[in-house]
Amino acid sequence: MDLTRHLKTETVSRLYPTQPWIVQPTQPVADAVKLMREKKVGCVLVCEQRKILGIFTERDLLRRVLSPGKSLDTPMSECMTSDPVTVHPKDSIGSAIKRMQKGGYRHLPVVIDDRPVGILSVKRIVHYLVEHFPVMVYNLPPNERFIHPQRESA
Amino acid sequence: MLCPSCNCKNLPGDDVCKRCKQPLTPFNLPQPENQVERSLMYDQVKTLKQHVPVTLAHTANLGQAIALMLESNVGAILIVDDAGKLVGIFSERDLLKKIAGQTTTYAELPVTQFMTPRPESVSNTDTLNFVLQKMDAGGYRHVPVLDDGRPVGIISARDMLRFMTRLCRDA
Repeated sequence: MDLTRHLKTETVSRLYPTQPWIVQPTQPVADAVKLMREKKVGCVLVCEQRKILGIFTERDLLRRVLSPGKSLDTPMSECMTSDPVTVHPKDSIGSAIKRMQKGGYRHLPVVIDDRPVGILSVKRIVHYLVEHFPVMVYNLPPNERFIHPQRESA
Repeated sequence: MLCPSCNCKNLPGDDVCKRCKQPLTPFNLPQPENQVERSLMYDQVKTLKQHVPVTLAHTANLGQAIALMLESNVGAILIVDDAGKLVGIFSERDLLKKIAGQTTTYAELPVTQFMTPRPESVSNTDTLNFVLQKMDAGGYRHVPVLDDGRPVGIISARDMLRFMTRLCRDA
């Protein structure tokens, strides 16, 4: 179980990226906000004819909508981040992590020929690391400084 | 497993040695096999390069909270009471869930109304696997580090990722 090697050889598709939620560039921001809230996700993709144009995240909502005091009727094309950094399902997990860290992104769209097929989030990668060390992480006592001298109850 | 004191053979997972009754539980803990596992098990939160927490008084309003988040370029700020103790966390997620589209005149409302009260936290002496478990199980992106109830740092999922990938590169 060598993490270094696995990060190089395992691909993004092995992480089963979550389904992308898509809005049109002409739709208002309110639609994206509603979608993000309903689907419990942190970002939506802005696509035109199934081709990716941009990404809209919680950070964009703060920075480009709420902070300048724009209304939620603003079209998506004005407040999205255009041409986001993406990954291909065949890319290695290590390279996806590198791209995430370089730009400080929490979400990367997974695309094939500009067509979105998934979203890879930083949470998913944290979960991948946890899965990688099940014995180290899952076998923790509830309070780590306390080990029961005896079995509990009967 | 062999008892370290009397060398008697015991079943794996036994709590005490069947011959000398010495406790065996500490030896049932997982043994780290490589550098990453060792670091996860024994390295404490203080070995991580933490960010100075961005804090805001509980009396502040939402406009101030949003301005502070933008100015310090962070995704979550910690809300503290008069004594400097943590009372809640306010993140971009709270903004999306509770504010955008719900109210239009939010800037004057108190931040305590929208924050997530009593967030999960860790202390500087907790080990890294403990933090990782909390983050994964709770789905948190930010875990505050407390010392006697006062925030001294904040660990984000990306900090954790950076630490792990750096270990892999060095290993």
